[in-house]
Amino acid sequence: MTTALPMPSSRADLGPEVGIGWRHPHYGALLERRPALDFIEVHSENFFAPGGAALAVLREGRALYPVSLHGVGLSLGSACGVDAWHLDQLARLVEAIDPVRVSDHASFARGALDTDSGPGLVHGADLLPVPFTREALDVLCANVQRVQERLRRPIAVENLSAYLRWRDVDLVEPAFLAELTRRTGCQLLVDVNNIFVNALNARLWGGETEPLDACRAWLDAIPADRVAEIHLAGHIHCGDIVIDDHGSRVCPEVWSLYRHAIGRFGAVPTLIEWDTDVPPLDVLLDEAARARAAAQRAPHTPVEPAEAAAAWTAPDRSMQARTPMPDTEATL
Amino acid sequence: MSTLALQQQALLGAVLHEPGSPAMRDAQALLQRLVLEPSSRGLAAYRANGQALAERALAAAYPVVAAMVGPACLNALARTLWHGHPSRHGDVARWGGDLPALLELEAQLADFPYLADLARVEWALHLAAGAPDDSAEPASFALLTQQDPATSTLRLAPGTALIRSAWPVASLVNAHLHGDPALPEAAARLHRREAERALVWRRALRPLVRPSDAGEAALLEVLLRRQGLVPALDAALATDPGFDFGAWLAHAVGDGLVLGACLRDERDVTIHP
Repeated sequence: MTTALPMPSSRADLGPEVGIGWRHPHYGALLERRPALDFIEVHSENFFAPGGAALAVLREGRALYPVSLHGVGLSLGSACGVDAWHLDQLARLVEAIDPVRVSDHASFARGALDTDSGPGLVHGADLLPVPFTREALDVLCANVQRVQERLRRPIAVENLSAYLRWRDVDLVEPAFLAELTRRTGCQLLVDVNNIFVNALNARLWGGETEPLDACRAWLDAIPADRVAEIHLAGHIHCGDIVIDDHGSRVCPEVWSLYRHAIGRFGAVPTLIEWDTDVPPLDVLLDEAARARAAAQRAPHTPVEPAEAAAAWTAPDRSMQARTPMPDTEATL
Repeated sequence: MSTLALQQQALLGAVLHEPGSPAMRDAQALLQRLVLEPSSRGLAAYRANGQALAERALAAAYPVVAAMVGPACLNALARTLWHGHPSRHGDVARWGGDLPALLELEAQLADFPYLADLARVEWALHLAAGAPDDSAEPASFALLTQQDPATSTLRLAPGTALIRSAWPVASLVNAHLHGDPALPEAAARLHRREAERALVWRRALRPLVRPSDAGEAALLEVLLRRQGLVPALDAALATDPGFDFGAWLAHAVGDGLVLGACLRDERDVTIHP
């Protein structure tokens, strides 16, 4: 059967490539309708099975769109290292799909634990925060390098929303990530919603910094030339905590921060994520259209990375206490 | 142990150990010395996320068990399994294979002794869904006449497995998933305690299960142990002297259960214990 490929969104405005997270409820609709998108994103682990329907569907999607493989289980920050089995599955998937980007998180989930099955390494299947210490940075760098050497390509590492704050801290998060990319050559995946969720929770914990100000400062301290992808999603305010549940539209504040990010980073590929209570495909496509429109209104006032980074270099426990939070990504 | 390993073990333990257990209390006490306050709400969010993930994963892998025990019971089983036997890998689809053993031990489910075998069938279907792809090679059956039968065997479909049960587990699964047999008929078979040998395999992309007769089951069990066609036929005929291999093979090829013939050392059969 010969069919036309979907047209990508208009590139004439040189705006960012915009994609959506492709989840099970939309497998059929996307393949049938072939909407104008620049890429689709899937969670790598959902396609680790060596055969069957899931992989067949992904191959169909790949025939129509570039695919961004986003992992939630590599556990790049684990002191016990990366699971060789997991890395084998990812390498096989990368080989099969030829993704436009490969990414995972600056988090950990794997470690030694005594369980009813006996002692051994377990995987918590969550995005647990790593302390922003030199020791954790060394581990993260080693694990990222191992993955990149195996995949023979750079990966992008995403900032987390964290619901706990470690006492130990040597660096603030942007400096931690900047050092990671400098030492490993990896790229960064900036989740704007995660930054905002962290800032909101920092306020709930007694921080005094205005959340939008904290987020802009965070974005200004990231090395702009290392940002490979931006994520946008919704969150839920539970009263005593804000959870990054990917279950609603992008809020106005995050759109504002997105414009700031595009103004600073340039036309970076942008993803709309929606993983909880997934709505009809048209809602995601509408969010994608909003992202394109928001990017067109972005101010182009890049901040000098060196200047911004300098402002973040000194470890600042009070800032640390105001900023961090997790990312349930609610999708494993 | 490094500082980072200690931090990570404390958080993993506080999230994964059974709530209220001594191990959980120890991990949480350690964690509280390592994190800034407030921490209880954030920790609760991680625990809740893990439990919700476990519930979804188990319901996806065991839809029939879920329907039979109800969501509250299944969620309780998921939490027990999650804390007692956490995932060993970052792909949660691989987690949950310990449910049949848990069902056998669960005193409150002692009145439903067929649940464990039913879960075994569902886990085999779950594994078959993602088993490596393979395709039929009709021309390869010429090997059966060209080669010494002792060196030949059959290539089975992805995910092929056989579960012997004292209960009509294949009928129960098919009644719930496909309405064939109808639920009342499956219930009647259960009432009559009809034993079944549940044969699981994948036809193209679709995992399937059906009851298997005695001769076929004996044949397949030998093939699944990676032995040759001759001992498999011997086992089938010993079990059922009237076993008609030619008729069986025609049906098996038509059902996508047998994909071709091959020399024994070339076989690539996926075995699910």
